[in-house]
Amino acid sequence: MAQLLEQFINGLVLGGIYALIAVGYTMVYGIIQLINFAHGEIFMFGAYLALMLITVFNIPFWIAVPASMLLCAMLGMLIDLVAYRPLRDAPRLSALITAIGISLVLQNLARMIWSARPRLFPTETLPAFLVSEVNMQTGEILNAIPLPGGGVLPYRDVCILLLAVVLMIALNRLIYLTKIGKAMRACAQNRVASNLMGIKTNQVIAVTFAIGSALGAIAGIMVGLSENITPTMGYYKGVAAFAAAVLGGIGNITGAMLGGIIIGLAEVFGAGYISGGYRLAIAYIIMIAVIVIRPSGLFGKSTGTRA
Amino acid sequence: MRNWFVGLLIVGFVSVLGCQPQDKKNTSTTQTTQKELKVAVAAPYTGSAAAFGEMIRRGAELRQKEINEAGGINGMKLTLLFEDDAGKGSEASLVAERIVNSPQKIVAVVGHFNSTCSLAGQEIYDRVGIVELSPGSTAVEVCERSPWTFRNLYHDGFQGKFIAQYIDNVLTDIESVAVFFDNDDYGRGLRNAFVAEAERIGLNLVASEAYERDSTNFKAQLTSIKAKNPDAIFISGLFTEAGLIVKQGREAGITAQFFGADGVDSPDFLTVAGSAAEGTYLTTPFTFGAGGTEAKQMEANFKALHGVTPDTWAALTYDAVGMIKEALEKTYNAEASIEDNRKAIREHLASLDTPEEGYEGVTGLTYFDINGDTVNKPAYVKIVKDGQFVAAEKQLRELK
Repeated sequence: MAQLLEQFINGLVLGGIYALIAVGYTMVYGIIQLINFAHGEIFMFGAYLALMLITVFNIPFWIAVPASMLLCAMLGMLIDLVAYRPLRDAPRLSALITAIGISLVLQNLARMIWSARPRLFPTETLPAFLVSEVNMQTGEILNAIPLPGGGVLPYRDVCILLLAVVLMIALNRLIYLTKIGKAMRACAQNRVASNLMGIKTNQVIAVTFAIGSALGAIAGIMVGLSENITPTMGYYKGVAAFAAAVLGGIGNITGAMLGGIIIGLAEVFGAGYISGGYRLAIAYIIMIAVIVIRPSGLFGKSTGTRA
Repeated sequence: MRNWFVGLLIVGFVSVLGCQPQDKKNTSTTQTTQKELKVAVAAPYTGSAAAFGEMIRRGAELRQKEINEAGGINGMKLTLLFEDDAGKGSEASLVAERIVNSPQKIVAVVGHFNSTCSLAGQEIYDRVGIVELSPGSTAVEVCERSPWTFRNLYHDGFQGKFIAQYIDNVLTDIESVAVFFDNDDYGRGLRNAFVAEAERIGLNLVASEAYERDSTNFKAQLTSIKAKNPDAIFISGLFTEAGLIVKQGREAGITAQFFGADGVDSPDFLTVAGSAAEGTYLTTPFTFGAGGTEAKQMEANFKALHGVTPDTWAALTYDAVGMIKEALEKTYNAEASIEDNRKAIREHLASLDTPEEGYEGVTGLTYFDINGDTVNKPAYVKIVKDGQFVAAEKQLRELK
């Protein structure tokens, strides 16, 4: 039982991260029907930029996080401006191939700048409560909440979960309660008509990229806190998050959040109870099973034009 | 009109690019067949095992420099070609094809490092007949499967057995162990050897969990392992993943003793795991502390050339390049065909089959059994103390 609870929390934490990334895929898809494969790389840049701000410019962690989100939002908008905007009316396949190209360019750029060696946030630069470690003599764990049955929940994971929930709610409110949110929903329904109604669609799309990228960046930093930072980290996490977006019904934000949680839980339970050698495979099997039964995903609307 | 011009420019550019290597090749073959001998050094220079590749490159470069400064091989210069397999079998096949099809007339291959890569490469090397001398692959099959593959370190059949006996005989307060292994040729093979020996000597094995290479999140498996409450966890994998496992394990409240094998023997393990690395045991085929005066000399020269301390893999590669040099010195015949010369290297290595015939290098005496395996080299145990690898107090000399 204790193990079950701990695994469930492991799954939620991972799922929360996937949800944050998946939202970026799904928002862009909802508006311009483009699978932005470069999104995983923005996630990776989020982690690297925060690391650079902290280690090279000696900026405190709490300032580096929003700064990295801001930089990634700008990077997302720049990618849209340079790579996708000129192809807005081109066949969808052209934009898709461009997205894959941008992803490769960014990944190799990261390799050139920061090398392929894995990096981590130096422990001493992080706020103390984000670093938990067991005391080898007493078995006591610093900065963590003990769970019934011997499990532990590090404060860091609590922060990740809380932050994921808060950001998701904020995003939901933004989309349903603000003017820009309304414009985004309008563009998702019909871009041409929105344009005719006086909505500056290119600006709306840029804002969509900015929001998605900022969420991706903070997910990257969260992953960097407990795992390592490498130029390929965006690929592995990006693929899983993309599966989450598809599972939830690509284009649907609630679906992406839920899809993220499902994939996270499936991965952790698969690895914990079946075999760790196939953790992603198990997540994919679930995704495929859902897609077979509901081709448009859990929350997707079935339309004839979806690829 | 403008499009035509751009098109013409592109055609012109491409044809210029296309011509260059052709010209170079022509001049180089005429000039160099007599003056240069080319050996490929294949290792993971990028990817998650890049820290190993870096040391392999440095070790090889040091040996190359020393050989050429001492007048080369029978007056011919030794040139090393560094080929990157990124630690992946699929890349290793491509690298192997590139090596055997290269117009540069490569006479032998030092590498690969990862067992998966050595296995993938040897299918191609066997077809052409070129020696693959690995300074790092320890999976048992690597040498069994090919007459052209040799290695100058122990294999995992020995290492797995050694680790099980060390835990049983030296770390006597450990009663139960769990294995956490990388699901590739190296990790699986080593795990199997360890498990077989643990069962034989009655070490209580409570869990065996797998992970995929390049995984970064091990919490699910660690939670399962923790539930079984083992006294020690043996990580059968490479340093990047092992570093994260140790770090995430300590975060999850695991107080068990961590034990790694030679795949963990890289300074990068310490960087990745941070303070959680403290007290981790690992086995390694060589330590400079155990080496003689030649090893000390090599260590000093290495520091002078590269500015860093050499590790195990730098030393083993240094020796591997030395063995190829010795083979070339004794057998190379400029008149003979490249195939015959490659074959002669194999024959020479295969003839080093007794301690008397063996090659005396910085990592000790190397001689081969019928498979091309080195069976005489011992394993050393290191422990992480104050953020450094140091030799463990108690070593195990004889296996039962």
